[in-house]
Amino acid sequence: MNMYSTQNAKVERVIDVVSKRFSTYGYTRIKTAAFEKYDLYSTVTSSVNRKEMVKVIDTTGDVLVLRPDVTIPITQELSHVCNHLTSEYRFYYIQEVFRQSFEKSEKTERTQAGIEYFCESSPEADAETIALAIQMMKDLNFKEMKIEIGHTAFFNEIVNGLHLQEEQLERLKTLVVSKNIGELNLFIQQLLIDPKRKLAIEQLPFLYGKPEEVLERAKEIVPLPNVIKTVCYIEEIYRILKLYGLDEYVVIDFGLMNHMDYYSGVLFQGYVERLGKPVLMGGRYDELGKKFEAELPAIGFACEIESLVKALQNSAVDNANQIDLKIIYEESELGSAIQLAAKLRALDLRVVIASKTKESMNSIDERCIIRMYEQEHIVEFQGNEQPFTSIEQLDWLGGNDK
Amino acid sequence: MSKLTVAMAKGRTATMAIDLLAGAGIEFSSYSEASRKLVFMDDTGTVKLVVVKSVDVPTYVENGAADIGVIGKDVLLEEQKDVYEMLDLGISKCKLAVAGFPNHKFMDSSRLTVASKYPKVTKAHFDAKGIRTDIITLNGSIELAPLIGMSDVIVDIVESGKTLKENGLVILEDIADSSARIIVNKASFAIKTKQIQAFIAKVKKRVEVRS
Repeated sequence: MNMYSTQNAKVERVIDVVSKRFSTYGYTRIKTAAFEKYDLYSTVTSSVNRKEMVKVIDTTGDVLVLRPDVTIPITQELSHVCNHLTSEYRFYYIQEVFRQSFEKSEKTERTQAGIEYFCESSPEADAETIALAIQMMKDLNFKEMKIEIGHTAFFNEIVNGLHLQEEQLERLKTLVVSKNIGELNLFIQQLLIDPKRKLAIEQLPFLYGKPEEVLERAKEIVPLPNVIKTVCYIEEIYRILKLYGLDEYVVIDFGLMNHMDYYSGVLFQGYVERLGKPVLMGGRYDELGKKFEAELPAIGFACEIESLVKALQNSAVDNANQIDLKIIYEESELGSAIQLAAKLRALDLRVVIASKTKESMNSIDERCIIRMYEQEHIVEFQGNEQPFTSIEQLDWLGGNDK
Repeated sequence: MSKLTVAMAKGRTATMAIDLLAGAGIEFSSYSEASRKLVFMDDTGTVKLVVVKSVDVPTYVENGAADIGVIGKDVLLEEQKDVYEMLDLGISKCKLAVAGFPNHKFMDSSRLTVASKYPKVTKAHFDAKGIRTDIITLNGSIELAPLIGMSDVIVDIVESGKTLKENGLVILEDIADSSARIIVNKASFAIKTKQIQAFIAKVKKRVEVRS
C-alpha cells in the first residue's frame, strides 16, 4: 500500500508541476472525449498504427476507438469552429491515451501531457514551444537532459527529385534514422543519383551535435536553396533559445524523423539520463488541419507522465504525500482535537486526527505531531517536544515551514 | 565524467570484440572467458563491460541499461530495436541462409515448414517471395529439424558450413550477411555525445587498420 501511494504521489506531483508550467505560458486546459470515431483516425493515414488502437463497437454497430491520440481530435474540433486562424490558441491536456503495443510488457493505458499551440509558423513561436518543453523538464529537476531539434524539410529536400521508389525511400529513412553509416554507404553506392546528392545523404548521420558547428556544416554539405532556408530557420530558433538562456540543452539532429506522418517542419525530442527512450516528442503539424478542410497551422509536443515518473525514480523527488500534522488525542480531548484540526485546515495545512488507541494504524509520514492527552498537550516538531495549554499557542504552525 | 556501459554477448564474439577494443586502447585485463563474473571494468575505470546472453544485448541497449552494445547483425534483424547502429566491426562474420536437403524446391510444397531461431526474419523473407510458411521456433540444433522430418527447411546462421555438411544439408538460398555491430542507445547518444563519439572513433580506427 505504501509503495502504491508513493507511486501515486509522484504521478500527482509530476502532473502538478507540468500543468503549472503550461499555464504560466498562457495555456488553458481542455479535455477530449474518451471514445472517438474510428473513421477519424483512418482519415489521417498512418498517424496512429491501426493495429495499436483499442476498438469498441457501440449499440448501433459503429466502430469506436478509445482515444489513441489527442492532437487529432483537438484539431478536428477546432476545424468546426474556424476554417482558418483568426487568432492564436494555446491548449494543454493531461489525459489517458490507449494504445495496445505488440510488446506485452507495455501498458495499454498511459497518461499523456501535452500542448497544442495553433499559430503561424515562425522561429519565435517554435522557439517558445521548445523553450516551454525545456523549462518543463527543468522544473522536474532533471540534471542531464537534451532536446534534439531537426526539420522534416531537410531530408525531404535532399531526396526530392531523385525519383526513388517508396521502398527505397523507406530503407533510406531507416538507415539515416539508425545512423547506420556502413550500410547507408553501401545502399547509396548502388543508386543511380548525382554524386553530390550521394555525398549529402552520406553526411546526414553526421549532422548531429552542437548547433553552431552542425548548422555551418549543413549549409556547406547541402547547398540547395531550400535546405539553406531550413538551416537559417533553425539558426534563428537557436538564436532565440539563447535569449531564453536555454541553448545549452539543444542538440541538432538532421537525421531526426518521426513515424507520426502529420509532422511537417520543425521536429524535436527530449532525452534524459537513465531512460533509453525519448521522454518528450513534438513538432510542427501545419498540414493536419487540411484533413478537416481547415487552415490550422500549429506546433505542439507531448510526454508520457509514466515515463517522466520512471526517469525521476532515482532522483530525489520530495515526498508530496507527506501530511503536515497528526493530532493524537485521548477520548476526553476529542472536542479540542476537532477544533484544532478545523483551525489548522483553514490554514491549508494537511491534518490527520487519530485516537491514541489507533495511533499505530496511522503510520503516516508527518512533519509534526500534536498529542492531546488528558494530562498534558504536547507538540513534537523537528525533534523538539513542547507543552502547550491553548490552541492560540500553535498559531506559528500556519506561518512556519509552508 | 560518467561511465560508459557496454553490453556484449557471452562467448566468442565477446573474446574477439575485447581483443579489438584492446587494440583501440580500451583494455579489459581483468576479463577472461572462464570467469563467472558478469561485470568487468576497463583498466582506466571509465568503461564498464556487462556480459549477457546474445539475444538480450539489444534489449539492454534499447532500455538504456547499457549505452553501447556489441551484437551480431542476425540478432538485430530479428529483434528490430529502436537504437543507432553505428559501426560494423567486421568480426564474427557469417550469413543468414535457408538450408535443407540438396535440390529441395520450395515452390513445390503449397506450404513450407521452416524451423528457425529467427522466426521474424524467416517470415519476412518468405512473405516477400510469396511463399506461405509454418514456422517452428527452435533455440538450438536447428539442423536436426529436417533430419527427423519436423521441417522442410531451416533458416539459420552459417559460418563455415561444416555443421550443415556433416548433417547432409546444403545452403539453398542466402538471406543476409551478418557480422558484429556496435549499437548505441539514443538517449545515451544525446546525453553523452562526446564520450560515445570518441569511443566509436577509436574503435573505428582500429577496425580500419585491421582490414
